[in-house]
Parts: sequence; structure tokens; C-alpha cells
Amino acid sequence: MSASRTRKVLWSFTALGGAGVAASYFVAGAPRFWANWTVWFLYLFTLALGALFLVALEHLVSARWSVPLRRIPERVASLLLPLVAVGIVALGALPVLYPGAKPEAASDPVLAGKAFWLGVPFFSVRVLFCLALGLLPLWILIRGSLRQDRDRDPRFTIRARRFAPLCMAIFALLVTVAAFDWIGGLDPGWYSDVIGVYLFAGAFLAGLAATTLAVLSLKGQGRLQGIRFDHLYNLGGFLFGFTVFWAYIAFAQYMLMWYANLPEEVVWYQAHLGGLWLGVALLLALLHFFVPFFALVPRDAKGDMKRLRWVALVVLAAHWLDLYWLIFPALGQRPLFSWPELAFALFFVGGALLWLRGAMETGEDMPVGDPFLEEGLEFRL
Amino acid sequence: MSETFAVLGLFDSADALMEAIPKVRAKALGRVEAYTPYPVHGLDEALGLRRSPLGGMVLVMGVLGVLTALLFQWWMSAVDYPLVTGGKDPSSWQAFVPIMFEIMVLFATFTAGLGMLLLLNRLPHWGHPVLQSQAIRGITRDRFALAVEADGAFDPASARSALADAGALEIEVLPVPAAGPMFTASFIQRSLAGIAAACVVSGSLLYWAIKLMPVLPPMVHMENQPKLDPQESSTFFKDGHGMQLPVAGTVARGFLPFAMTTPEQSAGLVNPLPRTPAVLARGRAQYQVHCAVCHGVLGDGVPTLTAAYGAKPANLHTPAIRAYSDGTLYGTIVLGKNAMPSYAADMAVDDRWAVVHYVRALQRALNAKDEDVR
Amino acid sequence: MNPEASYPSGLPQTLRAPAMTVGTVTPGSLDDQVLRFPAQAPPRKWYLALAFTSLVACIGMGFIGYTFYTGIGAWGNNSPVFWAFDIINFVFWVGIGHAGTLISAILFVFRKRWRNAIARFAEAMTIFAVMCAGLFPLIHVGRPWLAFWLAPYPNQRGLWTNFRSPLLWDVFAVSTYFSVSLMFWYLGLLPDLASLRDRTAPGIRKTLYTILSLGWRGAASHWQHYEKAYLLLAGLATGLVLSVHSVVSFDFATSIVPGWHMTIFPPYFVVGAIFAGFAMVVMVLIVVRESMDLQNLITDFHLEVMNKVILGMSCLMGYAYVVEAFTAWYSMNPILHHTFLNYISGTYGWAGWLTMGCNVAIPQLLWFRHCRRSYFWMILVALGVTVGMWFERFVIIVVSLHQDYLPSAWHNYRPTLVDYGILLDSFGIFFSLVLLFARVLPVIATTELKAILPGAQPGHGAHHE
Repeated sequence: MSASRTRKVLWSFTALGGAGVAASYFVAGAPRFWANWTVWFLYLFTLALGALFLVALEHLVSARWSVPLRRIPERVASLLLPLVAVGIVALGALPVLYPGAKPEAASDPVLAGKAFWLGVPFFSVRVLFCLALGLLPLWILIRGSLRQDRDRDPRFTIRARRFAPLCMAIFALLVTVAAFDWIGGLDPGWYSDVIGVYLFAGAFLAGLAATTLAVLSLKGQGRLQGIRFDHLYNLGGFLFGFTVFWAYIAFAQYMLMWYANLPEEVVWYQAHLGGLWLGVALLLALLHFFVPFFALVPRDAKGDMKRLRWVALVVLAAHWLDLYWLIFPALGQRPLFSWPELAFALFFVGGALLWLRGAMETGEDMPVGDPFLEEGLEFRL
Repeated sequence: MSETFAVLGLFDSADALMEAIPKVRAKALGRVEAYTPYPVHGLDEALGLRRSPLGGMVLVMGVLGVLTALLFQWWMSAVDYPLVTGGKDPSSWQAFVPIMFEIMVLFATFTAGLGMLLLLNRLPHWGHPVLQSQAIRGITRDRFALAVEADGAFDPASARSALADAGALEIEVLPVPAAGPMFTASFIQRSLAGIAAACVVSGSLLYWAIKLMPVLPPMVHMENQPKLDPQESSTFFKDGHGMQLPVAGTVARGFLPFAMTTPEQSAGLVNPLPRTPAVLARGRAQYQVHCAVCHGVLGDGVPTLTAAYGAKPANLHTPAIRAYSDGTLYGTIVLGKNAMPSYAADMAVDDRWAVVHYVRALQRALNAKDEDVR
Repeated sequence: MNPEASYPSGLPQTLRAPAMTVGTVTPGSLDDQVLRFPAQAPPRKWYLALAFTSLVACIGMGFIGYTFYTGIGAWGNNSPVFWAFDIINFVFWVGIGHAGTLISAILFVFRKRWRNAIARFAEAMTIFAVMCAGLFPLIHVGRPWLAFWLAPYPNQRGLWTNFRSPLLWDVFAVSTYFSVSLMFWYLGLLPDLASLRDRTAPGIRKTLYTILSLGWRGAASHWQHYEKAYLLLAGLATGLVLSVHSVVSFDFATSIVPGWHMTIFPPYFVVGAIFAGFAMVVMVLIVVRESMDLQNLITDFHLEVMNKVILGMSCLMGYAYVVEAFTAWYSMNPILHHTFLNYISGTYGWAGWLTMGCNVAIPQLLWFRHCRRSYFWMILVALGVTVGMWFERFVIIVVSLHQDYLPSAWHNYRPTLVDYGILLDSFGIFFSLVLLFARVLPVIATTELKAILPGAQPGHGAHHE
């Protein structure tokens, strides 16, 4: 398919999705509309942050093997720019889905003490602050990387390494606040301190999977010639390892709450594992852990392009399912999946792909100004 | 002259070795093996070695480990002796997961380690000719060896020249070791003796640890406990007795102190129990156990005791006793009267009141009026 | 291609490739430098050090024997502080073991070649630390001679162990960790033992090395399976690093004691373990480096990287403290609030401040390059971390237990002399074993280091990282 035809197809999907999104507000009801919007906002936000984490991690540990690949997650992370708008719209979900943001919270015995934290004003300030703060690493790391293409100045690499720890701190703050606010806030009486780490695991996996898919897609177009089995193997290895990490965190949280059986904690799991939601949870375990794990266990599979492509797709789908499972039970109904969800998928996937297609044309495909590009290209396992 | 096992060529760098390998393999003189002080990249492909099956073995054993752990835990916890602990269902899988993971790692590790050593590499093997060669000193230090091993018809001379052409710095011919077959009678004897000795030693240790040691002092299973047993003496009390009477004023449970001192004083007490067939049956049972021996089964003072007892139990149907109030009867049971001892310790409060009901029933039965029969 | 070639004016110093070995190191010189130690008599200071640590260990063993004879009442444990020094020490030592496995296994999986010089020593420390850790569950039961009851074997009591208890998961996790670490360490040692075998003149030592090296001869067909096994074991050990300390954290997190039931405990404990372990490795490695003149093999780069890991872990610990404190407030649970206030005020508030100071504040010194390269600052930070991590376990266990739900059950805790004695005993045992290891076996994995020297691999001039 030619580039312009693809663009036309994407635009039409996005427009169709957009119409469905608008219609669903009136037909399917506000709560469902906002649940979908929140899921997709968080999905793309965590995906972009995951890609940003990958870039910052490379600078932090001075990795060489990933230098040829680095431009891809940099471009994926640029999604944080349009996400500012999506996030501002998402604030509309607060009075609808978030009990802590409703006026009744001030008189609820459990919520009264933290009503100022959960209330719309401070919540919104936090969201806006996080959206803005996410742009800082974008400015320093990614803009600097693009500039290095032109001026070949190695001092950017030094600056990036110095900034990487701060970028990590920013990332930790953003992911933790997002988890506590958007996910924990749906049931403000419930609390779990590991949800920040849980969302981080999902975010990093989503960022990795998106990066992998983008790399494979560009290679299919004949670009990124220098990327070999050795580089893909490392990407696959990360996917494998962090699949295990996600499963570990998810199981640890579940098992601890199951074991202690405290009413204020178990109620969350009762909502998320009751009735048909149990099926969704099992599907999530299958797609997010068992399938990618066993698919990537063989050594060759970790670097195999075909295998990586569909595993990355499964991981991306699983991350959406994860957020769906985390957020939709707040609607108090059985799992809903029909045209509103599909419309949202079309709209946001189409929109993200459109943005990313544009992003894939920014700068060179590899950070040509990076002093370690050659060494990265020569990397052997 | 002993047979040649292999001809070894030594090189001093990995590059030299890698360059030599295709040259020597091309001559097809025998099986080609390399010996290096550390793993060299690309050596496997250069020698045409098949992929190691260890990965698949470990995966299979790992899965087996998970299933074994799950099965064992489930059987022990939910089937053989199900116990509810922590309010959790005995077959709760969530609690089994940590051990399933650990056993998976254990199985996989031992497969990887022992499978690699024993199965794939056939180690330990101390009799290999290379270990007896001059070259081994260099091989484990900084020399790289290429060996052409005898495989059917073998010409050591052409192997020597092939290695020399490939650039070997030194060449050594390894003879097949003179040792006889491995499984000699004495070897088997010694192995069996060793196994038997190991069994005896470990069995004894286990027996000692499990059976004997726990009962040796000071591990005496709490046999000598500093608590007071019945009939034991005690230095704590002045009279040296372990068993002491309760302190004055002690009241046993269910036996509250009775405020009155004579049965007449208790005349005002009211029977709290209702007059139901159940209560009457209870009263009858208690009466027959405690009262009938003296007052007779019918309450008429004809005892089932022999006359040798001496005292004359009261007839409960005399007008005087029939005039007693319920409370006075109760007080008589509790305090005793004349030769009758107190039955307070023998009958619970409710039992006493039930007996009072029964006595009243008896009295009415033996002094029935015509109306009762009609 | 050398990145420096693209920059004729020269790369800035900070971007130049770091030195993993200093000076010319060949496989032969490496063998001579490292493998001479098992063959020669140790210097007098080694004997003095061993005598001192053995003395401490023996005195401590006496305290343990006294505990066996008298009972746990000899310790300071009381109601409600049923767990104190025993579990603190157990968690502390298991944690220290994790750094060795991380260096040895996780860095191998990530192909960080610089780990080769320090992996052997770190793994040995893991094994010794796990041995010290395993001591505590054994001696803290009321009847240690019946400790085998913890194993699920068919018995005449007709009972099975309680698989729902995290303490039993601990038994399995720690014994698996010990077995796997031992296997991994031994397999790594095999080629080095073969080198020792071939360097030693015939005698008892050569026979011992011959037996232990199992006839290893460096055959390429063997290396193939060996490499595969090593990679698989490294991957499995990586899983263990996460799981073992998580299972240890389950001891606390599955309960409902306030301050213990926090879902972040599993990753938080793992980070803490790596943190404490790296500090211990840094301290011991400095001593080894100086006393055995290994500065050209254990270079400034190694120490600097380990310090960076310590710094990173310290920041993660800070994150965990902040998230825990926030969640405790967010829970609106007054008992949890009380417990968290107890961490920084009250009878043991000083321990809470000591913990945060040593774990979060002091390691921030490592942001400064000078501190990462100076022995004094490194050791100061590492000691601080060791103390801080021990006190962290103290704070978690004692502070949460001494005042929980029922005020009538509140009671303070005071350790006894026996408690201190047994703690020192564990240090004595650990350092004695470390000293013995340094004397008897090669402290650096010579085979692994040979494989990454310049010119070691065909076709490449530079070494990998």
C-alpha cells in the first residue's frame, strides 16, 4: 500500500472512530464514554512514558547496543505532546467516575480526611502538572538528540547522561501519581502501594512492544538496515523479562490481598473478579503472561522478526486489556464490549498511528550524531 | 606400540585456531575437536557441532517441576489431611504458587547443571588421554589445541602434516591409554562397598537425628516440666504438699453461695423453673439418684438403704412437710437437716428446683383427690 | 570502529571507554597473578584476621549453645515482639546474598562483561551469606533439634507441613536459593579448578583439584553445553533474586500487622537486598583488592559502577519510603497512621531516622565523582548502608510489633547480650568463610576474565561490555 493510500485509510478510520466516539457519549451514556476515554488516555500515556523510559534508561546505563535503535522510542515518546490535549479532556471523567471527586465525598467518613486530595481542584492540578512535566524530558532528551543529528556534538551525550537520573525521577513520579489517581481513585477507599510499580511494568512493556513493532515495520520498509538479530534479541529479551516482572507484581498484589482478606482491600478484587470479570482476568493472565512468555522462551524466538511482531501485538493488546480490566468494573456492570469500545479503538489507534507516521519522518532513522552509533551497529551477542 | 588416540596441534591465539580449523577439517582425517582455555565465539559453527539440547531439557523439567509441586502440595493440603488454616480453603492454589516457582527453578537448575555434566559432557571422567598429555598445561592456561581424533582408519603422519600446514606451533601424539576396561571386578566391588558404606553412614545419621537425638538430654521433649502434677510434693507451700484445698471462701462455678442459714429462712424463695414434663422428668431423674436412697422411691421415708443405717429419713407426705413452701424444700436440699447432709455440691441449682417440682408432684400423687382422677 | 575515530579532536574524557583491566593482561599473566594464592602460604595478617573472626564466631556459637540449652527466653523476644533479632538477622543476611547473584547472574544475562572480574567473589559471598541466614530459622525455633519437622516427609504424626504459611515458602525458597547458587558457583569454578589442577605439582592438592574439576579438559563440545547451562542457570538465578526476597517479604506482607501489610513489600525488599548486598561487596572487594594486589583486575571502573548501583538503589529505597508513607496516610487507617508516626517518633524513632539517614541521605554523597573513587567515602557510605539496612529491618519488625492493634498488649523490646552475641557470631562466620575462600580458591574467575581480554576472541580487537 502506498504511503498516501495508507494515510487516507488511517484518516478515514480515525474519522469513523471519532464519529463513533462522539455518538457513544449520547447513546451509550456518559460513564461508559468517560471510562473508554480514561482507558485510552492512560494507554497512550503509559505507552509514551514507557518509550521515554527506554530512552532514559539507555542514557542512564550508557548502553551501546541500543544506540542505533534509540530514535524509534524517541519518536514514540513524542505522543506525549498530543496527549496533553487528551489528558485535559480526560478531566471530564472526574465528576462522573471518581467518587472522591464528587461533592458527597466530603461527608463520607473514610474519604473526608483526604477529600482535598481526591477533589476535582487538586486532582486536576496534579494531572495538568504531570502532563506538563512529561514534556520536560521530551524537550531535553529528544530535542537534544535530534539536534545532535545536525551538529554532531558529543556534549549532548554527556548532558543526556547527567539528566537521565532526573528523568527517571520524573518518570517515577508521573507513573505513580497516574496509578494512584486514575486507577486507585476509582475506588478511593481502596489502596495498594504497588500500583505505581504495576503500572510501570505495563508501561515499559507497552513502550517496548511499540518500539519493537515500529522497528520491525521500518525494517520491512527497507530502513534501519544496520539492525540485526543481535539487537532484536535484546529487545525480545527485555519483552520476555518484563513480562515475567509484570506477572510477578500482579500476582504479588493479588496474593497478598487474598491472604490477608481485609475487607477494605478485598472489595476491589471482588469487583474485578466477580462474575464475568473473572473471565476477563483469566484472559488478561493468558495474553499478558502465558502467551508472550512461552512464545519468547526459545532463544531464537527472541530475535525472530515474525515471532516478535505478533508477540508485540499481543503485548499491546494485553496492555489495553489490563487497563480495561482495571477501569471498567467501576461502571458496576458486567464486561461491556461493543461498538463504543471499537469506535474508541479506531479513533485512538488511528490517531496515534497518524501521529507516529509523522514522527517517523522526524530526524534520521538512527541518531547519526551519537558517538557510539558505530559501536552499537557492530554489537554482537 | 600403542594405538594413537589423537594428534594434537597447539596454537597460541584464538585467531590462529579459527583459521586452522577449516583447513584441517577439509582434509577429513578423523573427528576434529578443539581444546580452549575459555569459550571462543564461533567455535561451535566452525566445528560443525549440533545445537545443544539442554534448553529443551530444562524447559521440560521446569514445567514438570511446576506440576510436581502443584500436585504434591494439593494432595498433601487438600486430599490427604485437609486442614483449614487462616480461613482459607484447603486447596487454595494461590498459596501454592511460591513453592511451585521455587521447585520449578530447582528442577530446572539440577537438569541444567547435572544434565550438562553427566549426560551431555559425560563428566566426571578422569581417564581421558588429553588429561595425561603435555598439552593440557597450556590448554587450561593460554594455549588453543586442535585435535584430530582417530576415527576408523587413521594415519597419524598425515594428521601431523595437516596440523603443521595449518600453523600449529607444537604437535603432540596422544596414545590410547593402557588402562583396561573400566568395569573390572574390583572397581565394581569398590563401588558397591562405597555405596553400601554411604547408605549405612547416612542411615545411621538420619536415625540418630530423628530418633535418638531428640530424646537425649537436654532435648528431653519437655519431660521434666516445672509444673505441679497431682500427688507431687512442693516446696512452695509450707506443709510441703503440692495439692492444697481451695482458699477459704472459694466458690465453685455454678455453685453460688447460699445466703440463708436455715431452711425456714429460705421459705420465701420462688421456684424459677416452669412445671413442664421435661422439668418433671429431670426432677425425677435427680430424685431417684440422690434422694430415693433415703426418702424412698415414693417419697414415703421407706428407704432403699438397709436398716443398718440408723437414721430415720423423713416421710415427705406428712402434713408438716406438705405445708413447706418450695423455698423451704430448696433450703433443705442446700443446707441439709439433722442427719441429712447438704446436697449443694452434688446438685446444680436447676436440678434442685426440678426436684422440688417432682416432690410436689409426688405429694400430690399420694394425696390425690377425686378430681385429679376424673 | 572506534568511536574516537569519528571525533578527531578526541572524545570528552567522560565518554571514553572505561578501563576494565589496567596494563597488559594476558591469559598467562592472569593465571600467574590470581592462581598463585592457593599455592602459596598466606601472609601473617590473614592468619590474624582469621583468628579474630573465628574467635568471634566461636563465642557466638557458645551463645547459640546457651540458647539451645535454656530456651528462647534467653533472648529479648517477648509478647508482642515475638520476632526480633532472629528475623532481622535472617532477612539481613538473605538480602546480602542477593547482590552476589545479581552481579553473577543478572549482569551475565545483560552481557555486562565487566562483571567477570568480580562475579566469583560475589557468588562466594552469596553462598556464605545464605549459610549465615539459614542459621537463624534453625535456631529461633523452640526445639531446634526438631527443625526437620519443617520438611514435608511422611511421618508417624500423620501430619503434613502447612503450605499456606509463608514461613514454609521461606524454607523452600532459601534452600532452593542455596542449592542453585552453589551449583552456579561450582560450575563457574570448574574451568578454574582445571587450571589449578594443571599448575600444581603432584600431591594432595593436585589430587583434590583433579577430583573437584571432574576431568574438565576444555573441549569445544563441552564448552558448548557448558555455556548453555551457564546461561540457563544465570536466567534461573535471576528469577530467584526476585522471588527469594519476595517470599521473605511475604513473611510480613501476608500478615495484617500494621505497617507490614503493604503490597509494595516484595519489590521493596528485593531493592533493599540488592542495596545492602552491594554495600557489603564493595567493602569486601576493597579489602581483597588491596591485600591481594589486584588493582589491575578489579579496577576503579568496577568500584565506580558498583557505587552507581548503590546510589540507584538508594533512590529506589527513597521512592519506596515516600510511597509507603503516602499510602499509609491515604488509607485513612488511624492504626496505620500511628505505626508510621512510631517510625519517626516514640521509643524507636531514633532507629527510623537512622535508617532513612543511612539509606537515603548518606548514599547521595555518591553523586559526587570524588566520593565514588575515594576509598574513605566509599567505605563510609557502604558501612552506613549496611547499618541502615540492618536497622531498616529492625524498624519494620520491632516498631510495628511493639505497638499494634491492642494497646493493652503494647510492650517495649530490649535485646539481650545473647542477641548481640549471635548477631556478631553471624558476622564472624561470614568473614571467616570469606577469608578461607580467598585462601583456597581463585577469587577472580580467571576463565571468564580471559574470555574478555583484548585479543581473546577471534576477529575483534576490543572487548565487549
